[in-house]
Amino acid sequence: MSRKAMVGAATILAALTLWYLLTTVLGVISPGRFPSPADTWSALAQVSGKGYANGVLGEHVLRSVLLVTLGFIVAVVTGVPLGLWMGWSRRAEAVINPVFLVIRPIPPLAWIPLAILWLGLGDMAKILVIWFAAFVPSVINSYAGVRNLDRTLIEAAKMLGTPFTTFVREILLPGASPMIFTGLRLSLQASWTTLVAAELVGAMTGLGRVLNVAQQDLYPGMILVGMIAVTICGWLMTVALGMAEKRALAWNTATQAGS
Amino acid sequence: MGAIRFDDVGRFYGNKTGGFQALKGVNLEISDKEFMAVVGPSGCGKTTLLRFVAGFDRPSSGTVSVNGIRVTKPGPDRAVVFQQFALMPWKTVRENIDLGLRNIGIARAERQSRIAATLQLMNLTGHADAFPHQLSGGMQQRVSIARAWVLDPEVLLMDEPFGALDAQTRVVMQEELVRLARRNPRTVMFITHAVEEAVYLADRVAIMARQPGRIKEIIDIRPIREAEGWDAHEKIEDVMDLESFVHLRTRIWRSLREEKAMELA
Repeated sequence: MSRKAMVGAATILAALTLWYLLTTVLGVISPGRFPSPADTWSALAQVSGKGYANGVLGEHVLRSVLLVTLGFIVAVVTGVPLGLWMGWSRRAEAVINPVFLVIRPIPPLAWIPLAILWLGLGDMAKILVIWFAAFVPSVINSYAGVRNLDRTLIEAAKMLGTPFTTFVREILLPGASPMIFTGLRLSLQASWTTLVAAELVGAMTGLGRVLNVAQQDLYPGMILVGMIAVTICGWLMTVALGMAEKRALAWNTATQAGS
Repeated sequence: MGAIRFDDVGRFYGNKTGGFQALKGVNLEISDKEFMAVVGPSGCGKTTLLRFVAGFDRPSSGTVSVNGIRVTKPGPDRAVVFQQFALMPWKTVRENIDLGLRNIGIARAERQSRIAATLQLMNLTGHADAFPHQLSGGMQQRVSIARAWVLDPEVLLMDEPFGALDAQTRVVMQEELVRLARRNPRTVMFITHAVEEAVYLADRVAIMARQPGRIKEIIDIRPIREAEGWDAHEKIEDVMDLESFVHLRTRIWRSLREEKAMELA
């Protein structure tokens, strides 16, 4: 293990010890405000075995991950091409950008009431809200990716007589891909934030639902379990995206290391 | 008939109320298989002239034509070698060279043999699967030349191709280009501000002046080169030592310096 990893592990261990000391040994923090390690463990055991808020932990996780994935994919599939198009075509930019400038400052969570009004408390409303939230970073970064593309590369492609479809696939897309991936990472974060908020407002199952019910039940241990579960899910999906990025941008790693 | 022709070419930036005449009344003819170097102070518009031939920009007056056909857009018949190489960083050497061949619809087998031959010609054999960032600047510029050369273009446009290279690499590249160009003559328009480079490489050197940018003088190197047997020397420094070379270089320098003096006065 590297020195840096050891220091990191030591810090986490110290924080866990401090948590145990403050809640359990010294009793500085009352169990009604923040759960002890033991409370948290028993909440985890409960939601994993017997279930809590209409389901066991696995079901909640599955539901949330599924909705985030769907919303994220819809946002990426619509947002990236739109961003690329706006970056490439001055006309598209002129038409779309004003609409975008108006919609962009609206906090994604502010769409939740309208989405529920349109689509009820079901999955579609959540996917819609995630789409609104995750769409913006995908568009903006894809757009910037095209705009920052080296002009001489575009000229070189033209000089080589590259047809448009080949140009999009082999020059525009890979050239913009470092920025596109930045957009995807931000979109994924936005997807999780929005989903938890949407599930807090209304859901039958899901990690946000666990958090909401636990709050109503005055159950700090379960709240912490929900928070940890959301964190781990979000982190794992970010890691998966990072691996995809590393594969897609293998050509770019050395240039990044050099700069 | 000249392969590349500039007829009364001008370029004006600005509008009716005011602006800047970047180029004015440029007439230049580069013959088939002729290596023409264009030298001039920065801002004289030499790169702009090349960009007209490439089809990246258009003159505001006059015409630019290649083999009698007026240039309207870029194309693989006028291959460009850029100062900053302009290789696709996400493509390997082979993929970079292959792109143009695919675009003009050449069959796979022929593409492979042409790429192999060009790699060998440019001393790049063994680097076909490397990415550009894994290569030195000199190697990257070889790939860029290979990418243009493999298309067997009507004309080759080189925009200060060795300007971004260190001095030693530049010398090696100049020697290689001389060998390549003498053995397989092509119509080349070579932009540079290095006088020695122009004299060493070119058949003729066009000297430009600025404000407005124009062709001031054209010097034919060939009679002297042939009479003095420059090409018998393998190394650039041996050629540069020859009295005839020094004489020509000095003459071009003076011509450029007169420009500078006028500008300061």
